[in-house]
Amino acid sequence: MSDSIATTGLCKQYGKVLRVKDLDLKVPEGTVYGFLGPNGAGKSTTMKMILGLARPTAGTVTVFGKQLNRRNRLAILKDVGSLIESPSYYGHLTGTENLRIICVLKGVPDKDINRVLHIVRLENQKEKKVSQYSMGMKQRLGLACALLGNPKLLILDEPTNGLDPAGMQEMRELICSLPQQYGMTVMVSSHLLSEIDQIATNVGIISRGELVFQDSLATLYEKSRTNIAVRTQDNQAAAKILGAGGVSCQPQDPYLLLPRLSDNELVVHISRLFERNIGVVRIEERRKSLEDIFLELTGTAVSL
Amino acid sequence: MIKALAMEFQKIRRRRVWLIVATLIIVQIVWSLWGVRGMDAHDLSQGWMYFLYQFPLLNSIMMPVIAAVVASRLCDIEHKGQTLKLLNTVMPTGRLFGAKFLCGSLYMLAAVLLQVVVIVAVGRLVGFAGSPPLAELFYYLLFTTAVNLTILLLQQVLSLLFSNQMIALAVGIIGSFAGLFILYFPQGLARFLLWGYYGVLMLVGMNWDRATRVTDFYYVPVDWAGFVTLLIVFWVMYIIGRALFIREEM
Repeated sequence: MSDSIATTGLCKQYGKVLRVKDLDLKVPEGTVYGFLGPNGAGKSTTMKMILGLARPTAGTVTVFGKQLNRRNRLAILKDVGSLIESPSYYGHLTGTENLRIICVLKGVPDKDINRVLHIVRLENQKEKKVSQYSMGMKQRLGLACALLGNPKLLILDEPTNGLDPAGMQEMRELICSLPQQYGMTVMVSSHLLSEIDQIATNVGIISRGELVFQDSLATLYEKSRTNIAVRTQDNQAAAKILGAGGVSCQPQDPYLLLPRLSDNELVVHISRLFERNIGVVRIEERRKSLEDIFLELTGTAVSL
Repeated sequence: MIKALAMEFQKIRRRRVWLIVATLIIVQIVWSLWGVRGMDAHDLSQGWMYFLYQFPLLNSIMMPVIAAVVASRLCDIEHKGQTLKLLNTVMPTGRLFGAKFLCGSLYMLAAVLLQVVVIVAVGRLVGFAGSPPLAELFYYLLFTTAVNLTILLLQQVLSLLFSNQMIALAVGIIGSFAGLFILYFPQGLARFLLWGYYGVLMLVGMNWDRATRVTDFYYVPVDWAGFVTLLIVFWVMYIIGRALFIREEM
């Protein structure tokens, strides 16, 4: 499977601050690539560089196997739809008129307007001025605009921003359906882990401009190992005894964290504690959540 | 380019940009009719020159404001809807700049053409002596358009680079006053001010005889040096303005 987007050593410096550092992204064809990171991590800047809206300080961007430069940029972008930050629109024009402008400029036949309006379910509001649209409708118009001409690649920057919970859900379902229905590759950014968890098949996690993880979502899940937490009346003594029995434990007040053990092994170790008269008061199974992994990788709290 | 220009007109639907041009023309019709009240035979004999003297002065005040408003109406829609980052992925930025300028130019050109129509119509109506001076009217059309477009270009660059349209509008208003007042200063000074070129390229001079209180108008030779200077200013401004706009990152 080839990569729809690949970047090598992508950097962007604003003033003296390096906002994006040596990014090597790989967005495989036909996937929904979740680009995850806390606010201000450099997600939008990266996406703008992929679209050529911002010039990289260093590094290259390759889209559909062609390295982006000033001359071939627009030709490559013909097959790319984008929605960056907030939706772009002319408030004094209707939804249809807005789409027609982009249609003509992109060289896409007019009849595509109704198709994309149908996909984003805006048919009933198409003759209304966009200034009267709700935030969610504007966002959907932005997506419709990105879908014009049935591009092979969609680049969506925080597409659920400003939507109500129902709108968010609708948008996510829509994004999920695009690869199967239209064979599109989607790169979608978000600061919400739960959102990426729902829609993405591949994940790239960016923190302070650096890529800290990039692989399939399944691989990310594998990182979430299970632990056994034990609480005793004397954790120090218990740790010694378990250590002698070949189980390495980590103290995490007021628990001791043991690696994953089979039930039979666990029984053996715990009964050893009873033999030494150490009272065991809790035994729990702990699973590291995606949140914990995200936190570990980015060193910042997940914003809600 | 034709497609891009057509889309510029599509974008400003319902924005009533023509209203600005219409207002200008109506004000100037009223002004010109006011000016020809009770003209005597001497005045009528110099009627065409009178108009070719008055209209550039009027343009000095009004045109820079008109150009600022037209440019601002065309450009602020892109800032308001944050559309530049979208347009930038579907068309070359330089073409957008050109199409926008062409669109505004057509409005400014329409304004001058209508002005010439007003001059000829009112002149005929009142009964100015002789037939309309075609050569001078042509030069008037050419020079006024040239100054208009140069000012429009400056306004467009400001309106595109600064999302706050007050900056561009303030420059337009200050320019209109400066252009008028500089005409009262020693000749030659106006050459150093873009807005002064309505006066620099004027085709008619005026003598006012203090004793007899009679004004006499006379044709002056065309200031080709001034016109060429203007063209160079336009060309340099277009290159720099366009480059600045293209360089902008979204």
